[in-house]
Amino acid sequence: MSLRFLDLARPSRQHWLGYLLLLPAVALVALIIVYPLFVSLDLSFQKIGMATLSAPRKPFTLDNYRKLFTSPDFWNACWVTIKLVVVVSAACFAVGLGTALLVNNRFKGRTLARLFVALPWAVPEVIAVVIFAWIFDSSFGLMNWLFIKLGVTSQMINWFSEPTAAFWVVAITMIWKGYPFVSIMTLAGLQSIPEDFYNAAKVDGASALQRFRYITIPVLMPVLGVTLVLVILWVFRDFSIIKVLTDGGPLKATQTLSIMTYDQAFGFFNMGYASAIGIVTLILCVIASLLMLGRKSQAMY
Amino acid sequence: MKTIGKRIAASAVAAMLVGAVLPTAASAEVLKFVSWQKDEKGVGDWWASVIKEWEVKHPGSTIEWTKVERSAYADTMTTLFAGGTPPDIVHLASFEFQAFANNGWLEDLGPWVEKAGLNLDGWSGQEICKFQDTTVCIMMLYYGTIFGYNEEILKQAGVAVPKTYAEFLAAAKATTKDLNGDGIVDQFGTGHETKGGGGQYIAEMASYLFDAGARFTNAEGEVTIDTPEMVEGLSRWKTIVKENLTPRDLSAGEVRKLFADGKIALKVDGPWIYSIMQQGAAKDKLKLASVPFDPPLGGSSNVLAMPSEISDEKKQLVWDFIAIATSDKFQTSFATLAASTPPSPRADLTEAKAQIPHFNLMVESQKAAAEHKIDRIPVGLEVQFNEFSKMIQEEAQRMIIEDLDPAAVAKTMQEKAAALQ
Repeated sequence: MSLRFLDLARPSRQHWLGYLLLLPAVALVALIIVYPLFVSLDLSFQKIGMATLSAPRKPFTLDNYRKLFTSPDFWNACWVTIKLVVVVSAACFAVGLGTALLVNNRFKGRTLARLFVALPWAVPEVIAVVIFAWIFDSSFGLMNWLFIKLGVTSQMINWFSEPTAAFWVVAITMIWKGYPFVSIMTLAGLQSIPEDFYNAAKVDGASALQRFRYITIPVLMPVLGVTLVLVILWVFRDFSIIKVLTDGGPLKATQTLSIMTYDQAFGFFNMGYASAIGIVTLILCVIASLLMLGRKSQAMY
Repeated sequence: MKTIGKRIAASAVAAMLVGAVLPTAASAEVLKFVSWQKDEKGVGDWWASVIKEWEVKHPGSTIEWTKVERSAYADTMTTLFAGGTPPDIVHLASFEFQAFANNGWLEDLGPWVEKAGLNLDGWSGQEICKFQDTTVCIMMLYYGTIFGYNEEILKQAGVAVPKTYAEFLAAAKATTKDLNGDGIVDQFGTGHETKGGGGQYIAEMASYLFDAGARFTNAEGEVTIDTPEMVEGLSRWKTIVKENLTPRDLSAGEVRKLFADGKIALKVDGPWIYSIMQQGAAKDKLKLASVPFDPPLGGSSNVLAMPSEISDEKKQLVWDFIAIATSDKFQTSFATLAASTPPSPRADLTEAKAQIPHFNLMVESQKAAAEHKIDRIPVGLEVQFNEFSKMIQEEAQRMIIEDLDPAAVAKTMQEKAAALQ
């Protein structure tokens, strides 16, 4: 009786086999994602400095969230994160879409051009940061030398000591590192558009701009939607570029939510407060993703 | 009968073997030791010699020595302790152990010191290891700064080796130059890291503050930033950075390299500057002298400690390691191998003084700094030091970027530091 109940070959039990096969993966995901998330959520409701897993739980409190929402540093970090998300995502899309359209055309050296477009994606983030740190070095950097030679400025620009300059150095580095992803995704999308669409439009007398506006963009929309979400999430959570280039400074001009979380957790050992920042960041990311993905289905035509 | 006899004999042999092997197996331990100094020439060799000695004294047991980069050190140690798997031998920077001690993660070494009869009188910087009336660590390095200068650059600028802050400033101004006239300064009077973390930033500006008579807190731990001395110290720091007498936005390592290669005229730094000078392009032009600041900047560097949650057997083994590292023999070899001033007053420095020409400079500087109780970590702000140093860094940067009055900045720092306590 019990053996027949467990007979996974029976048509009515076949879906059980699916769940059974999924179980190890689900358990692993639960272990490495859900459990830390739960621990983080739990820590965010405790007034705790350095956390120890074996230590008894401290009393429930909303102090971390109260402190967070009244902290000017938090709102500054939100503002910096939003500025970076908007600037980097917009620029990545402009450059990524432009380069994808370019290398989608047939011309001599197209393979090489595609390679160069994708190259920054292959460069490890830390290497990219080192390159840009040298380019924008305040005393011996290439950019200052170029600006002075071209007469753009008469004196050295302290790229990492001026809040506005530091923000743009971080943004430019992120754009350079991030646009190839948009380019690769868009190129894949472009190659899936049937040539017949364009031929029919040409017969109807559509200009290149009209073909782009009424064929390319609508068909690409699902791809662009997902890409946009992934780029936004990348900018939201990116840590190494900012940490190595500016460490969130000067004067918190490049302190994003992820840098603030790290500083509070491992710099100032305020694990409870850091967890609260992490949870709020997660909620913001989920909201942004839902808003973006929700529009995807209405995008095509 | 014969078979039974054989079995008994075999059992006896087996029992003897087990008896012989078991104590060794039980006492054979592997101690975990994490440090950022593993591959550092000199001091890394010294640690290796301590490990070797410990392994000789504990046959069969070993020390598993792992390197973790300094930049990731606090994160790694925090994670190890939080996860309940701390290293057995705890090596921490002197500005970070307080947070670990505050969490109850470090053993009170007082009873161990007493039991071993280790005399810590006159041990440089040891008072910093006192945390809430317990000894939570042993200071492994308290250094005094030394002063490096480029003889050729000073000669070309027509200035003598500075002996006071005023002379230092004049020399720095005279040697900061655009040598090829392209509008870009390519030789700097002095060099400071202005990009890194708060702790390093405080260390960079501290010489100017201490020389002006300023202190962050008094002996009782009360914040004493809003004083005329601090205003003077901050004004000096502002002058050095604002007038571009130092290259900007470089790491400490990059600044040292520039000095070693002849791009910086004057450099106040720790004992490690000597080995960097020896590898630089301008090594023949670089000389050492007494620091032109009074008192010279000194500072605690790193400590040895023991986790509170390991077994008593392991604690004994860790203490054996600490005992070797703090022994007269190894404190003496620290001076020669690490080319640095050992904290022990009983270390024999004769060989080090014979081998290292500037060793006396380091000893004098260490002594002067220790006498004035100089340290970048202010009394009363030890646990909050990371937050405090970050605040000081930001306010000092704001003073330079927004050209603020140092008096107003000192006032702000005072308020923020008091709020942290």
